[in-house]
Order: sequence, then structure tokens, then C-alpha cells
Amino acid sequence: MKNLKIKAARAGLDLSQAELAEKVGVSRQTINAIEKGDYNPTINLCISICKVLNKSLDELFWTEEE
Amino acid sequence: MKNKKSNLDERQEQELLKIEHNGCWLAFWGLLIAMAVQMVIYGYDVNGMKAMIGEWVVFMILTLYIAIGCLKHNIWDRRFAADTKTNVITSILAGLGMGILNIVSMVREYPDAIVRSIATGVFMGVFTFILCLICMEITAGKYRKDKKKLEEALDAEEDDEE
Repeated sequence: MKNLKIKAARAGLDLSQAELAEKVGVSRQTINAIEKGDYNPTINLCISICKVLNKSLDELFWTEEE
Repeated sequence: MKNKKSNLDERQEQELLKIEHNGCWLAFWGLLIAMAVQMVIYGYDVNGMKAMIGEWVVFMILTLYIAIGCLKHNIWDRRFAADTKTNVITSILAGLGMGILNIVSMVREYPDAIVRSIATGVFMGVFTFILCLICMEITAGKYRKDKKKLEEALDAEEDDEE
């Protein structure tokens, strides 16, 4: 499932995938894979992303049951 | 009976992957050392070489699997960069290893022909160095090319979304 929340938060801070990747210490392909829903990040990476994007884990990674 | 659903939870899965990872490298280095020892013991004896075929085939399959898998997923190495400096150093080490192994093996087989043994060892070492360097330069080149392509594809994707 695509993670549009990260994409939106990233766009809000005017950060590119490459810039976010550099700030959290992963490759750009990894950020792309997370946003596309192809990769489930570890909790440590989730926390790093949240810190850089100034969001909580819930705001970026919580999904409501349909 | 085999379950479709894994019996392992997330943590156990990670532990199993770690064990399999260590097992894989144990097999890699074990086979390499076994072949090196057999080479020193048997030298250029045909029967000795025949005895090594099994190990060699398994080693090559393992090596090719790792190399192709990494290239396919655009992964080079945890610590080493895909550059010429790394390739030259790695090739020198491989050449030195092969050269020394051949000298030891030849000296054991022909104790009276020291100069010939050293010459053979040097030739094999240089040959290994060149072959290794060519292979590494080709694979590193492909890795860099694929990485660039991937970056361009991501750029295009980001531009489209904007």
C-alpha cells in the first residue's frame, strides 16, 4: 500500500526523496520503495523519518482499517 | 507437514536470516580454503584436480548467485566503494594469494625447480590479477550504470508527480 503521507509531509517541507534519504542515512531507492509501499521500514528508520519530517509515527505510518 | 503460513514471527525470521547469512559465508570461505589446501597437496596432478571439481562447481554456483543477485538489485558492498582503487587492491590480493598458492604447490611437487616454481607462481598471480581486475571493472561499471539509470528513473518519476 502506497504511503502518501510521507510524500505529502516531504513535499510540505520542500524536500526531495534524495534529500530526505540523505538526512535519514538511507539510499534514495529505499525512500522511494517506502513511499510506493514496496518496503516495510524498521521502527528505527520510521522514527528517523518522523524526526526529519517533524511528524509523529501515527501521522506518517498509522493506517485506518477499511 | 509443511505449513503455507510461516511458523516464525518477525524476530525469529531475522534470526534465521542471520544464521543463513553466516552459513552462506562459512560455506564460501570453507570451500575456498578446502580448494586451496587441495591445490597445495595435489598440485597439478590430474586426479587431484578431478577431486576438486565438486567443490569448484558448488563454489562457482554460490559465487555467481551472490554476484548476479547483488547486481540485479543494484547492491555493491557494505563498506567498499565500486571504484577502480578498490578493484585494483582486491585484484592484487587475489593475485598474491593465487601466486603464493602456486609457488607452494609447485615447490612441493618439484623441489629441485625453485626458479620454475616461482616463475609459474608469478605468471599465475599476474594472470589472476588481470582476470580479476577485468571482471571487477566490468561489474563495477554495470553497477554504476544501473545506479545512474535508476536515479534518472526516480528523477523522472518525481518530476511527473510534481
